[in-house]
Amino acid sequence: MTTADRTREAAANASGPQPSASPARGRPTPFAIALAVLVPLFVVLAVTTDRFLSLDNARAILASAAFVGITAVGATLVMVAGSAVSLATSQTATVVAMAFLATQQLGLATALLIALACGIALCAVQGAVIGFWGANPIVLTIAAGFAIGGAATWFSGGTPVYPDARGFETLNSTWLGLPIAVYVLLLVTVVAQWTLRRTTAGRQMYLVGENRAAARAAGLPVGRVTVVAWAFFGACTALTGVFLASFNTSATVTLGGTLTLDAIAAVLVGGTAIAGGRGSALQTLGGAVVISVLSDVLLLRGFSTGTQTLVKGVLVLAVVVAVHLRSAGSRR
Amino acid sequence: MNAPSTGQTRGRVQVRVEGLARAFNGIPAVREASFTVGAGEIHGLCGHNGAGKSTVVKMLSGQLPPDRGRIVLDGEAVELGSRQAAQRKGVALVDQELSVVPALTVLENMLLGDIDVPFVNHRRRATARARQILDGMGLERISPDQPLSALSIGERQLVEIAKALSQNARLVILDEPTATLSDVESAHVFAAIRRIAATGRAVIFVSHRLSEVLELCDSVTVLRDGRTVGTTPTKDLSVDELIVRMLGEAPGRLAAAERPDADLGHALRIAELRVPGRLADFSLTAPAGRIHALAGQLGSGASDVLRALAGLHPTATGTVVLNDRAVPFRDPVRAARSGVGFVSNDRKSEGLFLGRSVAWNLVATRLPSLGRGGVVRPRREQDAVRSLAELAGLPQPRLGEPVAALSGGNQQKAFVGRCLGRPDVFALLLDEPTRGVDVGGRAAIHRLLREAADAGLVVMIASTELEELLELGDVIITMRDGRVVGRYEGDANGSRLMRDMTHGVEGA
Repeated sequence: MTTADRTREAAANASGPQPSASPARGRPTPFAIALAVLVPLFVVLAVTTDRFLSLDNARAILASAAFVGITAVGATLVMVAGSAVSLATSQTATVVAMAFLATQQLGLATALLIALACGIALCAVQGAVIGFWGANPIVLTIAAGFAIGGAATWFSGGTPVYPDARGFETLNSTWLGLPIAVYVLLLVTVVAQWTLRRTTAGRQMYLVGENRAAARAAGLPVGRVTVVAWAFFGACTALTGVFLASFNTSATVTLGGTLTLDAIAAVLVGGTAIAGGRGSALQTLGGAVVISVLSDVLLLRGFSTGTQTLVKGVLVLAVVVAVHLRSAGSRR
Repeated sequence: MNAPSTGQTRGRVQVRVEGLARAFNGIPAVREASFTVGAGEIHGLCGHNGAGKSTVVKMLSGQLPPDRGRIVLDGEAVELGSRQAAQRKGVALVDQELSVVPALTVLENMLLGDIDVPFVNHRRRATARARQILDGMGLERISPDQPLSALSIGERQLVEIAKALSQNARLVILDEPTATLSDVESAHVFAAIRRIAATGRAVIFVSHRLSEVLELCDSVTVLRDGRTVGTTPTKDLSVDELIVRMLGEAPGRLAAAERPDADLGHALRIAELRVPGRLADFSLTAPAGRIHALAGQLGSGASDVLRALAGLHPTATGTVVLNDRAVPFRDPVRAARSGVGFVSNDRKSEGLFLGRSVAWNLVATRLPSLGRGGVVRPRREQDAVRSLAELAGLPQPRLGEPVAALSGGNQQKAFVGRCLGRPDVFALLLDEPTRGVDVGGRAAIHRLLREAADAGLVVMIASTELEELLELGDVIITMRDGRVVGRYEGDANGSRLMRDMTHGVEGA
């Protein structure tokens, strides 16, 4: 993946023109080489960037990774189980955020539970349609995204939802210098990783994602496994929604923003195969942090959000190609 | 009996195959195949499984280069480097599997993959030509603008043949074109084939259905163990004579060992099992301890019996009882939960998890039993993997490798091993248990199945291979066209089975 790395370097240093769209020559270079180029590149960038190597900056990186990271870790399970991606993530988080703020007068714990239930239910239903009836996840979640977004608009009347109580502010506090969201991200990652590796359902997610027809013929509970993956994803999306709501202290229909694609990017940069069967929550955490570091470096060097988005896109593309080449190589 | 295809051009040699040979990894699949097909002749190609038919077809259609020998078309020796090259030389292949696209129209399908289609498509001219070809096959009822999805499977097969014809072929090869068709549909296909031959083209017809071969073809070449046994005019042949030629020394019963009494208390009882379009009616009581072998070619319904029991035919009807408990057999999860273990005939796409390790594959279906409360215990998992690998005869050092890295035989051992040693599996159903497995692996898998039966499991296999059927089957049930033809218990021999499988009900 040296070509991609070179483009990335060019983009990161931004000394010259943007990626010359050099086509990969179809020459499969080992994944390790990509890493060997990537890691020193980061180190060089980090050392040569002002204010990058500071505790405050490290905190900022983790904090910015947290919101997207929590959802991305959940999305890892969905992708591992072979249901590709959800394109309704932003909308789900928005609805959850609204529900969370609108129920504040019932107390923080109750509002949190309602928010979680709401996220789990929304996603589990989509998972059931995909798992039991074999719906195409892309098509289904596009439709679900419109439906949920529409419901959010109808629910809020198009105006921001303001909370009746301020209980949620607890979630904005920091602990040992880090926002609570960071701890939640770490906790969610550990739980997801454990679920994938050590539970029956998690192991079956890999199998279903690897070969759905074989899983079906073997009598594995394909539908149930898919629903569990989606429900977990729903809980994670709900947590992100809750943090977004607390951070913004109000919820509009556009609160979710670019969460959908950001979460997918983090999962993909983590090296999870979009076709399923491969990947891990730890890798996704890594992916979220890498994206966060990259954005941070570009920000510190004074690049526009446009450049940041562009570089993020190139990074995702490079990793997806690398992952594809690696799996194509191992199948040979 | 002979086809009315003996046109005026008959007798001129169109295709000559001279001493073709081809080996795979040093193992010869075809040793010496030679025959000639005259213009306007319908030439049958017969042989038992593994005789080399499909390899010959692949060499004739440019999909495999021969190691030795040559192919002569119209007096000119040709090199067919690819399927496109073969097409350019005038060889058209109608494959076993339909390669037509349901979403496209008849015309579009006929143009698909045709190398002569100009870059700019003259639609009107193409339509007229398609119309002409369809009319020539007696398919006036099919319009070129009809989407293929509106046609029946038989009609799709006819379009596939029309597609081959539209390529101005000199030689048309039909590889099992009728395997999945009903008799009425087959009749249409035969009529079309006769019309093709009547225009002076050479036709090679490959089929397991011997009565069809005798009815349709002018002469038959029989292959056995990769060699041509001989070419005979069909008017001199009967089905039985053809079977003798195919089998040579007919294999008799190989394992005539005495079996302990069948354990009727633990039995799989199947009553009036039906799968629309595939299985007409199937009833069987299979007691534990015996191996029941269903003998039938592609489309006979043998494999559909097993698939239906495993829950993979949601439209199946009937009653299935295992150990006196009804099996909810329209759903694979519930079928598996009631004790049915299924090994599909396609271990790559419907069996193993190829990218995963051997160890993962061995325990893939028993994860809930390896822990408590949905949490897998690594220690128990390792123990299970180790003992299963030992049982299935898989090399311990390779358990961590992806299963795709193993040989076909070891892959199949892992696949079968996955269903063994499970206290919650009472019936083991295996579709083609040794497809693509070497001789040693075969023996090992047969031993595993015998041990499973002796351990008190109901074991049922479906197979097309006579040796396997005779070796494993304590009870052999022959099938054709979705129906049971015969039932043999200790008195089976190769030619009887072959006759049942290929000739069917009316001949039995």
